[in-house]
Amino acid sequence: MLACFSSASCLVTQTTGGLISGMLLFLVAAGLSLIFGTLKVINFMHGSLYMLGAYFAFTIYNVTGSYTLAVLGAAAGVGLFGLLFERLFMSRVYGTDVLMQLLVCYSFILILDDAVKIIWGAEFRSMGMPAAFQRPPIILAGGVLPVFYLFLIGVTILVALALGLVITRTRIGKIVRAAAVNPTMTSALGINTTLVYGGVFALGSLLAGLAGALAVPVRSLVSGMGFSILIESFIVTVIGGMGSVAGALVGALLIGLVRSFGSIGFPLFTDGLMFLFMTVILITKPSGLFGKEL
Amino acid sequence: MLRIENLHKSFGGVSAISDVSMHFSAGSLTAVIGPNGAGKTSLFNLISGAFRPDHGRILLDGENIAGLPAPAIVRRGIGRAFQIASIFSSLTVREGILGAVNAHRRWYARLGRRFPLAEAQAQADEVMELVGLTATADTLSGNLSHGDQKVLDIALALALEPRVLLLDEPTAGMGPEERWQMMETVHQLWERKKMTLIFIEHDMDIVFKFAQTIRVLSYGRVLAEGAPEEVRRHPQVIEAYLGAKYDAEHV
Amino acid sequence: MRKSSIGRDALIAAALLVLLAALPMVFPSKSFSDFVMRASAFAIFATSLNLLVGYAGMVSFGHGLFFGLGAYSFALLMQKLGTSIPVAFALTVVINALVAAVVGAICVRLKEIYFSFLTLAFQMLLYSLIIAWTAVTGGDQGLTGGVPRPPFLGVRLDDPHHLYWFCCTTLVVSLFLMWHLVQSPFGYTLRMIRDNPRRASFLGIQVWRVRVLAFIVAGVFGGVGGMLISLFVSSAYPDFAYWTVSGEAVFMIMLGGINVFFGPLVGAALLLVLNDFVTKVTEHYSLVLGVIILIFALGLRKGLLGFVVQAWKKYVSGALATEKSARPGRN
Repeated sequence: MLACFSSASCLVTQTTGGLISGMLLFLVAAGLSLIFGTLKVINFMHGSLYMLGAYFAFTIYNVTGSYTLAVLGAAAGVGLFGLLFERLFMSRVYGTDVLMQLLVCYSFILILDDAVKIIWGAEFRSMGMPAAFQRPPIILAGGVLPVFYLFLIGVTILVALALGLVITRTRIGKIVRAAAVNPTMTSALGINTTLVYGGVFALGSLLAGLAGALAVPVRSLVSGMGFSILIESFIVTVIGGMGSVAGALVGALLIGLVRSFGSIGFPLFTDGLMFLFMTVILITKPSGLFGKEL
Repeated sequence: MLRIENLHKSFGGVSAISDVSMHFSAGSLTAVIGPNGAGKTSLFNLISGAFRPDHGRILLDGENIAGLPAPAIVRRGIGRAFQIASIFSSLTVREGILGAVNAHRRWYARLGRRFPLAEAQAQADEVMELVGLTATADTLSGNLSHGDQKVLDIALALALEPRVLLLDEPTAGMGPEERWQMMETVHQLWERKKMTLIFIEHDMDIVFKFAQTIRVLSYGRVLAEGAPEEVRRHPQVIEAYLGAKYDAEHV
Repeated sequence: MRKSSIGRDALIAAALLVLLAALPMVFPSKSFSDFVMRASAFAIFATSLNLLVGYAGMVSFGHGLFFGLGAYSFALLMQKLGTSIPVAFALTVVINALVAAVVGAICVRLKEIYFSFLTLAFQMLLYSLIIAWTAVTGGDQGLTGGVPRPPFLGVRLDDPHHLYWFCCTTLVVSLFLMWHLVQSPFGYTLRMIRDNPRRASFLGIQVWRVRVLAFIVAGVFGGVGGMLISLFVSSAYPDFAYWTVSGEAVFMIMLGGINVFFGPLVGAALLLVLNDFVTKVTEHYSLVLGVIILIFALGLRKGLLGFVVQAWKKYVSGALATEKSARPGRN
């Protein structure tokens, strides 16, 4: 690992690799964080939405041949799926204990994993690079930088900025922030919580679906692929602070880079490092780097 | 015995308690009154260790207990009951009180023997007798009437044999008749247990009937203190109180 | 208040053990004794989780950590260090207790769902360690070469009968100890903390210490379940530490009934039966299980045994109503 720091090309390759992992992680974690911040539930099946986004994009691309359509369609489709899931199932267990929320999500992880196997098959699938991005990579200081990476990073930054603007500048953002601080207050103010909850859940799902769609060209698809990203994005939100988009971004990039560099030196050690880091945050600042007191 | 010196506490820049000093002598019966949001419950929360004061001291028999965690303060002899009855709804009355006795005797983490411990029974029975819950001993706490839940909350604190007992609106949510009954019970407890009792109350008739001394809080400060007669004639109290009653109707 | 003495309960436990040990005389098939052994491991595991979920109100979603840790610690101690079974058993208990103390100390201060997820995250840490540390754990293939079963004190676990009796004994002893625990002052303190942790702390109870202690006890018994399964399959697989193990344990509790001590036992047996049945009929086990869990989560919240107990209590209290006011149902 140390050898990498003395080689510019290795440094570039690992940094860009870490960056795109971090960006994908950010999109998933931001959704998780928004949903928790507003609804006070952790969407335990959030990883499955990421998986669904990937498979949606895979199919749309294969049918239409347009990656743009694939990304937009997958994001919208998963957003709609999230909305239906929230309205039909999740909303029934808001008042009950955590156990029921976990079980409802758990059942959907199982159902979706099998559904994916039935529809798309149990074996690994990969889409390959869309035609638009099949061009020689940029060589930066000897390191390889695929064009698609730039696109992915660019799109995610735009989404992050848009999210930031929506939350800080718009009325919807204001409601979401108010709900995060005091859910009873918002309903007392005459705000339609059903609408807000459904909307936020759909938005969070959409982000996960978008991440899945953006991941398709660089990741292989398999049933159950969403679970590890769920755990990682939970760790990201613990580090960054539940309910904070900025926190999700910082946490995700941190984890993405740590994993990318750790994987070349001590793969065993990186997971431990991630947990150690999370534990230190939990002990010293339980609300996370950017979080408000829970 | 309980002395508060220059206590401060603010939440997000808003002062809940500012520069409050007061003294409660051993065996006294004190009412804390004041309009809504005056800081009465905050004061209890600071004394009982729910919040850490920003600064100031809380001296119990000379020892500064400010900022200690709640269990440590309980063990020094300060018990409390809550405005909204805080009980163990899935346990029976007897089980809850036995649990409180176990907590007090530090038997609560025992693994070797069966609950209930024989040596805890007598004290639990005594507490139930004292507050009149014997008849409902085997009722689930969550199924008790509102009034009995308030009594049980106090009984849980009594099982700790506290030297200081803080009661946050013992009559909250009760009908007029029930209120007086509740206060008679509280008064009897105070006489029999010879403890220092501090209670928060909104009903002025009750306050002037039962309290030996009164502390009036307003906007987190001590507005007045003294015997009921002095407080009743205090011009600022009259003003603050009439204002508060007006506000209360509009909440 | 119901009187129950340790002596009487021990007698009942001994009688049940004899009954269980004699069952193969009635059902001599290997599949029956295999089922009982598997069910023993999962029943101990699920009951230990219910100490947290049902009694202490701590919804751990990472209890599989201790199942996997118990299985791997025991198997590795037996295989690599060649210790005797009782020594490996004792050391595994110690390892599980230590890990539970550390993980518990980090997790128990957190609020509900945070606690659930953090325990899950720690379980996945163990899982990825098992996958990555191929040299010791065999990676995703699991431990190869089998777990030796040297005789001790006249017990020969390579004999299927002895193994069966050993599993039954471990089951009965573990359940007896956990039953005793929930009837102890500590068990009632757990219920108090479940109902109202704030009130408990204002009675002088150090809530987080009690929670950590509960977490350790549950971790130890969860590990005992893992040890049994590794003895039974004579190996240890990463699946034992995968998150679905935790999910299934939570569902076992739900299935049997969260407010009944023996609910998880019934739930474990039912889920194993269901598992065997569904996998015979279809390859889409997850789909079927998912739908069943969804139905339970949205409908039958008290679990099957809880439902039966409630109906029974209603019947009994109806019969007693004329004598005196019946005591409301409670576990």
